[in-house]
Amino acid sequence: MTGITFQLKNVRRDKMCILTFLLPILAGLAVNLLSGINLSSVSETGFAAVKDSLTSDAVHWLRSMGRLEMYENRQSMETAVNQPASQLIGVIQNGDSLTAVLSGDELEVNTVIGNTLPKMYEERAALSSYEIDIVPGGSSDSLKPLLTAITMATALFMGCTFNAMNMINEKEEGIGFVNEVMPMTKMGYMLQKLSLGYIGAVLSAALTAFICIRISPDMIIPLLLVILLSAFLAALAGLFIGHFSDGLMSGIVCIKMVMILFLAPPVLFYLVIPEDSFLHTITYLLPSSAAFYGILDLINGYCGHMQEYILVLLLHSIIWLAAYLLMCRQRKS
Amino acid sequence: MRYVVFSLLKKDFRLMLASKFFLLALGSLILYSCYINLVYVRLDQEIYPVYLYDPMGVQSTASSAAIRSESAEQMHQACSDGYSVGIDASGRVPRIYMVSSGIRRTDNSRAAYAVSLLFPDSETKTVVIGTNTKEMKNRREITCEFLFFELSAVGFLGLASTLFKEKQMGVILVHSTLPVSQTYIVLSKLVLFLAADLIFAALLTLVNLGVSQGLSVLPAVMIQAGILSVVMALTGFFCAVCLQGFRQFSLLYLILAVFVTTPVFLAGQTGISWKWIRYHPMYHLFMALKNAYFGMKPAGNIYYAVCAAAVLSLFMLICRTLKHEMAKEG
Repeated sequence: MTGITFQLKNVRRDKMCILTFLLPILAGLAVNLLSGINLSSVSETGFAAVKDSLTSDAVHWLRSMGRLEMYENRQSMETAVNQPASQLIGVIQNGDSLTAVLSGDELEVNTVIGNTLPKMYEERAALSSYEIDIVPGGSSDSLKPLLTAITMATALFMGCTFNAMNMINEKEEGIGFVNEVMPMTKMGYMLQKLSLGYIGAVLSAALTAFICIRISPDMIIPLLLVILLSAFLAALAGLFIGHFSDGLMSGIVCIKMVMILFLAPPVLFYLVIPEDSFLHTITYLLPSSAAFYGILDLINGYCGHMQEYILVLLLHSIIWLAAYLLMCRQRKS
Repeated sequence: MRYVVFSLLKKDFRLMLASKFFLLALGSLILYSCYINLVYVRLDQEIYPVYLYDPMGVQSTASSAAIRSESAEQMHQACSDGYSVGIDASGRVPRIYMVSSGIRRTDNSRAAYAVSLLFPDSETKTVVIGTNTKEMKNRREITCEFLFFELSAVGFLGLASTLFKEKQMGVILVHSTLPVSQTYIVLSKLVLFLAADLIFAALLTLVNLGVSQGLSVLPAVMIQAGILSVVMALTGFFCAVCLQGFRQFSLLYLILAVFVTTPVFLAGQTGISWKWIRYHPMYHLFMALKNAYFGMKPAGNIYYAVCAAAVLSLFMLICRTLKHEMAKEG
């Protein structure tokens, strides 16, 4: 306990470090303020047309299908369609029908909509004569929960970075040799180092969650458990990096690699892999997947798979902690 | 003087070798290339699957793209994902069934697409104006993203890490007693890191875009990569001179990697329109690099003038700060 107090005293002087733990909270506030921006517009189909070139009926119909952007002339419209960042479908009036203009590099969904657009427009009368049953489903804003989850994961990752850099710095400054002659066990050293990043990551993630996530009271405990276990895993990852890196540069590159592996694949899995598939279960092999899914489910108000996520995180914590202890023991012997 | 410059270059090259810079750059190149070729180029979003329940077989003109369901329950089950659309043609008038995606206009589009599959194909043909395939677009897009991330984050870090190493070893103190101008000290590091970044940029481009496509955009990419590399390396150098420890620097690096580059990626890749993004300097650097990858005019003269002014002021600021640091060290 005295060791942890000394470590905390040491960190207290480091204003930059405290600021860094506060950053995810600031990012959380920024994400929260994004409500003024309609992020759902990114998920909608986008159409582009030349001003006054479409009939009012076509404009009305296109606006009911997605967002419609108007351009001064054909060239500006084609430039917008060709923009790599956009998935816009250009629309030209062709008598009573419509013709789509595509750049040819769109996602399959937009290519097919573009190719079917004339038929969809022709059969609009048929659609209005059909009965439509729409069962209420997911949220209209899929990007904001994703941004919130990424911010939370980053807050948790700060613990990893802090621990890793702290250990590498001590190695570089020769404090490691001093520790060898100090009356301190390896376990004591590990606990001290683990606690610092862990406390910081938990506080940072909890405050970010408090700002960004609105959940019912029965979801607070699952959220807390997910944060506690994920922060532990992140802090442990920091210990591994600190243990294996022999210099600042290699430490930073390891952090970069782990950060990419920590953040990018779960986002990709979440967007691409169906929830009930076998592949989804395999993604649990990556520790951050369960944390990411858990946070996203809680943001979206689902609690169904929470026990599964917590169990996976717990298993990862035990396995990785055992691996670290085994590694330390082997080095000692 | 030539000998001094050569010695400085040799010393910095050795420092780079000792910090495993080249090995780590090679590791990043392999990791990024594997991700691009094995994962990213395959990413796509399929069209909404349409399930047709037609027990009487009345929808004779229905497209083969509509998947036939054996029962209404089976159709409802298939549509529970909030993406698929069902058509129940068992009654007199067909009924569209779907779980809402949460976006009204997307639901309308899904319904209109599903209904269009019940009718014969239209004769109107789509006009294709672009030259890229989806795969090539994905390759250009992600290669640009990785290069931007690598140059902005690692470029910021690489040069600074050698300076921190030198600070620890007391080399700064030695430099202050040598008859070498601060300009050469900064320049020798800058030249080496610029060369390393340019080699990395060329390899990443050629490996992931292919030789012929890669070579066609390489000159423009190299210019933009060079600008980005110099700007970031000088910024990193300046922070390294000003900050006391590498830990503070590494946390600053993390802020840059996650919070400064993320809005740039979001604005540049998803088409989200934020008016304030034009005041974000990294956004312009990213867009110039991206335009270079897509064979478009990277930027106007004002952009190059601002970049030149930024590089020059950063360089002068660093030389001054370094001189001050050396004076402090003795």
